[in-house]
Parts: sequence; C-alpha cells; structure tokens
Amino acid sequence: MTNFMSNALEKLNNVVKKFEVTEIDEREVKIDLKPESVLPALSLLKSEGYYHLSLLSAVDWIDEGKFELVYILYSWNDGGKIIVSTKISRKNPEFVTVKHLWPVARYYERELFEFFGIKFEGNDDMKPLFLENWDDLPPLRKDFDPLEYSKKKFPDREYQKDVIHEAKIIRGDING
Amino acid sequence: MNTNERGIWEKIADQLRSRSLWMLHYCTGCGAIELPPSMTSRFDMERFGMGPMATPRQADILFITGYLSTKTLRRVIYTYELMPEPKYVIGFGSCTLNGGIYYDSYATINKLENYIPVDLYIAGCMPRPEALLNAFNELMRMIRNGEANGWRKYKENYEWYKQNQLRTLGEVFVHDEFHE
Repeated sequence: MTNFMSNALEKLNNVVKKFEVTEIDEREVKIDLKPESVLPALSLLKSEGYYHLSLLSAVDWIDEGKFELVYILYSWNDGGKIIVSTKISRKNPEFVTVKHLWPVARYYERELFEFFGIKFEGNDDMKPLFLENWDDLPPLRKDFDPLEYSKKKFPDREYQKDVIHEAKIIRGDING
Repeated sequence: MNTNERGIWEKIADQLRSRSLWMLHYCTGCGAIELPPSMTSRFDMERFGMGPMATPRQADILFITGYLSTKTLRRVIYTYELMPEPKYVIGFGSCTLNGGIYYDSYATINKLENYIPVDLYIAGCMPRPEALLNAFNELMRMIRNGEANGWRKYKENYEWYKQNQLRTLGEVFVHDEFHE
C-alpha cells in the first residue's frame, strides 16, 4: 500500500466506522462497505485524490442472492487503485446514482440496468445502451441461459454425416 | 425464369465483371486483420483486378469478416440492399458459417445465409490470406460460369429472407439514439 493510499484510508476511517480492507497488491486495495456508507466514502475518496472513476461494474452472486457493485477509483497522483465494493439485494436491485460526482457514471449505470437490471435512483436516463429490441432477462445475470436464447433466436446450421467421406479417411485415401 | 439462364450479352458482361471487382469489406470481427496483408504488397490483391471500395453504391462484393451481432446485422442488411446489382457476398471465417466460438452467444447470429444470400464461404478461424485469394479466384470462376446468383435468389425469395430477418431482429429498421 502506498503512503498516499493509507492516508486516504485513514481519513475514510473517520467517515465510515467499519470496513474491510483487502490488499490485492502494492497499488491496489479493495474495500467492502455497507450500501448506506458507499456514497459518503466515494465523495471522500474523490476529494482525497481518487477522482477518476475507472469503472462501475457489477457481479452476480446468485447463490448469496446478491449483486456486488464495484467502483474502481484511480488516482493520478500515485497510480493507485481503490476498489469500493458493496452488496445489494438481488430480488429488488436498486441503488443510488453517483451521476452528481462523476457525470460519466450515467452511461455505466445505463449499462448496468441493461445487463443486470439494477435500477439507479436519480438517474432518469435508462434507455438501452447496447442491445436493440431485447426481450428476455438481462443477459449478464447468471440465471439467463445464452445457449437456449441463441437456439430460440438464431437457427443453427444442420450438418449431415458423410459416411463415405469418413470411410475414405479411415482407409487412408484422404488425409483427414 | 431459371436463375441460371443468361443471354449472350450477360455472358460477355459476366466475363468483364469478373475481371474488375470492387470489394466493400464490412469488418465486423477479428477477420479484418487478414485484409491488410491481402491488399498490400505481399499478397497483392490488385493483380487479380480487385480493389477495396469505400461505399456500398460502387461496390460489387460485400465481404463480411467474422461474427455479426444482431446490431451489426441490421447495418449489413441495409448495406446489402444499397448495393447495385449484380452483387456478391463472401462470408469469411467460421463465425459466419455456424457461429464459430460464439455459437452460444445471446448477441451473435449463427448462420449468415439465413439473412442475406452468401455466394461463397471461407471456412477457418482465421483463414490465411492465401485462402482468401483462393476464394476470390473461385468467385471469379463462379461469376464467369454464372453460378454466383445470390442476388437473384434474394430478389426471388425476398419474403423468406425478410421473414428470417424479422424472426431474429424483431425489426430491421435502424434506430439511432444520437440522431433521432
């Protein structure tokens, strides 16, 4: 952990009482927070130099019944990354937007709504971003079966077995 | 009318057509990387009288490299219908044949000839530039013999193609968020 990073985490300790820190490597740290303390933590980290939102993504933990939201913050001062993660309920996935902190989050949140079905309160722009005419479960959820969908929508090529050709390969007439 | 029937003028025209082909490459997938070596000095596609073309209005061949997502398939259908006749389609790589490694993807189609008529497939993942040039020679032979009739098939079986397109895409019309 770099000095810059530990300073930021110390200040974070004043705002958020309890959080878990996992050190991934020298320049990368993951902190797990409760959903309600994510927003204060993010705004504090933004003021502490981690003002670049590299990525906002989600992970589907289907066995736990949770979606994990992952905010990756990058600092241009020391090249360190802080990964802020939180788990929200999978049944009625809703969270608050961070659009006011990073305007770019608008598009990340649109993407998450499209691919996981997570709604973000405060972000009113929830049009589909990549998919067109989507008519099934959000496709990156673990309970969505892409093979079944592909079979339903995109007909496969049917192959016929060529016995004579295979016999020729076995006999050595053709180099298979 | 039989699709293979050609008048004498058509036969002469086909001889000439096969010697001057302009190719519109719709590079949707990774296969696009095989085109620069085929076009440039090492394999030199132009010795066969072929050249790259930037717009569908002046192109003869629609060259589709790699997988097509439903989103790009709409644009491909637009592009194909914009091209003047006679027009030929080459499907490049196994993704256009049977989906390739994306056979179970929720976003990519598995069989291109359901949506637009394909005259020639090049199998492989990826086919080398030699295979590509071989395929171009084969296509020229097919044009000279009047076998490359995909565009006639599209006109005759338009309903069938449209039905397949609608089944997969819902609608073919392209909506553009930033220009509407």
